[in-house]
Amino acid sequence: MSDIHIITEQDIAEDTNLLQRRWTEPNTFVLLPARQEIHRHWIGNATRLITKHCPTDSFALLTSGSTGQPRLIVGNRNRSEALARVLHEQQNSEPVDETVCTLPLSYSFAFINQWLWSHVFQRKLRLTEGFSAPDRLMQILAGASNAMLCLVGSQVPLIRRFFPEASFPGIIRVHFAGGRFPQEELDFLKERFPNAEIYNNYGCAEAMPRLSMRRAGDAEDASHVGCPLPGVELRSDPSHRLLFRSPYRAIALIDDTRLHHVDDEEWLPTGDLGIIGTDGGVRLMGRANDVFKRHGEKISLPQLMTTVKEHWAGDAAFYTDQDASCESGCVLVLAPVPTPEQVREVLMGFRKYHTRPHWPLRVESLESMPLLPNGKIDLKGLPGAGNTQVHWKQRI
Amino acid sequence: MTNREKLRELLLDILLLDPSEFHFDLKRDEVETWDSMSVVAIAVGVDEDFGYHFSPEEAMAITGVADIMSTLESKGISFAE
Repeated sequence: MSDIHIITEQDIAEDTNLLQRRWTEPNTFVLLPARQEIHRHWIGNATRLITKHCPTDSFALLTSGSTGQPRLIVGNRNRSEALARVLHEQQNSEPVDETVCTLPLSYSFAFINQWLWSHVFQRKLRLTEGFSAPDRLMQILAGASNAMLCLVGSQVPLIRRFFPEASFPGIIRVHFAGGRFPQEELDFLKERFPNAEIYNNYGCAEAMPRLSMRRAGDAEDASHVGCPLPGVELRSDPSHRLLFRSPYRAIALIDDTRLHHVDDEEWLPTGDLGIIGTDGGVRLMGRANDVFKRHGEKISLPQLMTTVKEHWAGDAAFYTDQDASCESGCVLVLAPVPTPEQVREVLMGFRKYHTRPHWPLRVESLESMPLLPNGKIDLKGLPGAGNTQVHWKQRI
Repeated sequence: MTNREKLRELLLDILLLDPSEFHFDLKRDEVETWDSMSVVAIAVGVDEDFGYHFSPEEAMAITGVADIMSTLESKGISFAE
């Protein structure tokens, strides 16, 4: 039985060659976030399952998955390196000399698109503290040359806040993944990154992680995530659940105390709802657990978010709650604190595009959104967050 | 704030009206957001803001702002300018 190495973001920060060594060694390794709160006992059990059931050239990343519960995604080095090569080709990355990391490497997007890509193609990897050290990040971006940047949509308001006037001509590729694509911010992004090709990448951790992509300018709708990558198959079932098969996907998934081997012929859910167009392009309808019924109407939080984004340039997120009659509804949280006029603008957007059952139960605000280490909004931290202000509420 | 102003604010809030749309002769069928759920919301809002609880029959009989004012005036809540 071989050893499994458990490494954390913190270990990588202290020894930047550690990941390189682990990748080239024959042993399996597990990469965890620096502030992982998963009980050591759970990780211990999970790694024992990997040792028992998976090849020794495996590696594993932690995700919360669509369930919100911890899940280890077990990958295969050859499969992932093959994906890095496909991405290089599809994203025209040959001119890229370096990649700037603003996301934790334990996040599959950053791990595959940046760390592994830089390893396979022998390009420079620049680790940063992201937006927690904005001055330093600005210096690095300003000094970058022929560089690639990988972002999540929730980082765009941070770019607005910290780099309102800056321009970074040395960034020639900007990739978005891991959430809604900020289509309405394209003009702003082109000003900040005037020489960059911008891409909307779609996937999920179980896909390890890419499934499809499109150039930003090839569609006007954020929900359009492009066509599947070569070798990847995507379809939607009668309930519009998006399912995929991919030669680059995870080989096993570990939930609770169970390990699930993914069969080559198995269709896995991405966790999203969507439809496949006649051109093969995929349009997302929302997270499978972001769509619910209220007063008999199907409520899609991504559709509501599109309305919010038309009227509000700051951060926005929904969490679900119940009204007085125990019907499910959503609560809109804005940050920073909006003016009454701004709240009114958003509400008028709801009136214009949606019937009352779709309107949020409340509109709340915070000075700033609670964030996860990967830069996404910590949705679990929204209900009852300190200093919440209620700006509007439905009376029923 | 007068009772007229309170009622105006309440209806702007519940029906998501632009202030320019509101007038005291506004009828239910002039506003697309004045649906059956709004009727309930208005009843709840009137209870919260004016302390009067509409009966279901009273709530369903409301055809416009004037009906709300006349019902409340009959209970001693004045909307005199």
